[in-house]
Amino acid sequence: MTGPALASLLPLPVALPLAGAVAAPLLARLHRRLAVVAGLVALAGSTVVLLLQAPSVFPGLVRAHYLGLWTPVHGQVLGIAFAADPFGLLFALTSAVVGAVLLLYTLSELGGLGARELGGYACLFQLLLAALIGAALTADLFDLFVWFEVAALASYGLTAFFLERPIALEAGFKILALTTLASFAVFIGAGLLYAANGALNYAQLHNALARHVTTPDLIALGLLVAGFATKAGLVPFHGWLADAHTAAPGPVSALFSGLMVNFGIIAIGRLVFQVFGVAGTHALGLLLTVGVISALLGAVLALAQDDLKRLLAYDTISQMGILAIGLGSGTAPGVAGAVYHLVNHALFKSLLFLCAGAIVHRTGLTKLSEMRGLARRMPVVAVAFVIGAASIAGIPPLNGYVSLSLIHTGLLGGHQYLPYALMLLAQVITIAALGKAAWLAFFGHRERDYRSLEPLRPGMVAGLASLAGCCVAFGVLPQFFLDRVMAPAAASLLHPARYAGGVLSGTAHLPVPHLLFDYVSPAELAGVAASAVIAAVAAWGYLRIREPAPVRALRAVHTGSVNDYAAYAATGLLAVIAALTLI
Amino acid sequence: MILVNYLAAAALLCTGLYVLLTRRNLIKIVMGLSLMEASTYLFMVSLAYRAASTAPVLLGPPAGRTARQLAHGNVADPVLQNFCLTAIVIGVAVTAVFLSVAVRIAQHYRTLDADRVRAMRG
Repeated sequence: MTGPALASLLPLPVALPLAGAVAAPLLARLHRRLAVVAGLVALAGSTVVLLLQAPSVFPGLVRAHYLGLWTPVHGQVLGIAFAADPFGLLFALTSAVVGAVLLLYTLSELGGLGARELGGYACLFQLLLAALIGAALTADLFDLFVWFEVAALASYGLTAFFLERPIALEAGFKILALTTLASFAVFIGAGLLYAANGALNYAQLHNALARHVTTPDLIALGLLVAGFATKAGLVPFHGWLADAHTAAPGPVSALFSGLMVNFGIIAIGRLVFQVFGVAGTHALGLLLTVGVISALLGAVLALAQDDLKRLLAYDTISQMGILAIGLGSGTAPGVAGAVYHLVNHALFKSLLFLCAGAIVHRTGLTKLSEMRGLARRMPVVAVAFVIGAASIAGIPPLNGYVSLSLIHTGLLGGHQYLPYALMLLAQVITIAALGKAAWLAFFGHRERDYRSLEPLRPGMVAGLASLAGCCVAFGVLPQFFLDRVMAPAAASLLHPARYAGGVLSGTAHLPVPHLLFDYVSPAELAGVAASAVIAAVAAWGYLRIREPAPVRALRAVHTGSVNDYAAYAATGLLAVIAALTLI
Repeated sequence: MILVNYLAAAALLCTGLYVLLTRRNLIKIVMGLSLMEASTYLFMVSLAYRAASTAPVLLGPPAGRTARQLAHGNVADPVLQNFCLTAIVIGVAVTAVFLSVAVRIAQHYRTLDADRVRAMRG
């Protein structure tokens, strides 16, 4: 297929799930499961169209399509651009594929729901995925705001979906309040940037900002970063995240944690690197700071949790912090590592939430202290959970080892020793938290045996196996993915001028850096071994002491009150703007 | 004076934020957010204004002026006004979801006090 023909297909991966979402409630009236099956077909269609783009885009091509063929005239853009660059295409593909796996899992686990519920569920699920794919492919700031709102509306519905648990309503109100606050920030930020530069297209904005960056531009950047950081769940904008994950069923938590939070990181990456082009702002330092705080606080809070899904949710905050650190390093290995870790996080966090959902669904237990010895009763879930936890811990040969090592290399290459040390500390606490969860849930001895547990259905096993398989594949073949996918994606962020040229002219080639991954680096292997040992001791010790005062204070700050969480977010917003404009 | 618009937008924003941060009644929280939302619209429309400009309607120009003159002359920025239209539509949907969640909370918990609807904390 020729380039223009491929470009004209770009809106299709978004249009298919959108159409599926509209049709879902109607199809559910014909047959209960038809809505979900149609969703699977729509996502398969999206995946095929995205895969058609892959052979030409991943070697380092930017390809743009203007909706309604409103192409730019003399560098002035009126139309809305959809651009496939390696970075966006990678996340569009990840969203479509992982989304399809989650929908298949849903069909298997929640297939017994009523027609109305399944129809609504399939509708919201596809709406959220369409918004994620749209956000990954769009090259227009206002379009990004619209996808933000589409994703937000779908997430409100999914959070408050399972009304048999009243906490779902509580979580729904919190995510509504905080995301609405974030949407105001994004809205005003986009408006300010437009008013100051007369453009909404990323490329045109980049060309305008490359000449001069004024204070209104920096305020706009602060507003946008704070708004998208709420979506990503970075501290101090994270109040909604843990509650929304605790209340939702397994596949929904997996969708939120694996895919939806990526939205925020992708948007921040695009704004900081491709629109503002790093130079002239303190955005990288800000990302490093916010990243380190999120990584540490998220890990500590995860270690302190007794609720399995809440533990995993706080770990998501920590992992988002690690991603921000990787982006903030600003070096080629660091950014490539962040991109790699974003894909890895989608894989292993989805896997872990599906495991947690399966446990909660079958045993009815949510607290780790009430579980024991599940490994014998649910061996498949135990294996999958341990693979996921070991991936996050960065144990070779699993995928987390590769991405974390790359981020370490990037930080050391940029002489960022303090963030490096703090990131290592956060990793040790993360390993301790997940090790504690795996130990308490699956091993040890339980006095009263579980009543007969319903076995896993084939669709669920297929979902767990495919995600776990991907975790292993991304860890075993690092150089393959690094050369073909991750390095081009990083190049797309690190060469904003080329990206801008591609968006305006229709095509452009990116200079892809050659990154080598040293699998048997003695320093990294020793680091992994040391942190695993320290983490094991720490987890063992933590289970035997009373909760330390700082941890208790940190938990006490998370009051569960929507007023307080909004106050943290508003303070964070002001701090972000102040950091960008005053320093 | 367009400055009055900006001051009014800032006052609305601060009132809304104050309500969001200090009131525990869920309906009042929704009202606070709606106030903030209204302030963003006012802010956008004011940003679109240029000194002495007319509405960006290029069909049927006022007597003595052609559409071409208007297009090259002084009209308010239509893009920012379109921003507002889009955001108003989204805002209506969000407020509807907000209020329906508040209604369900009132049914389940028999209260609208945000302080008594916080089982999840820490």
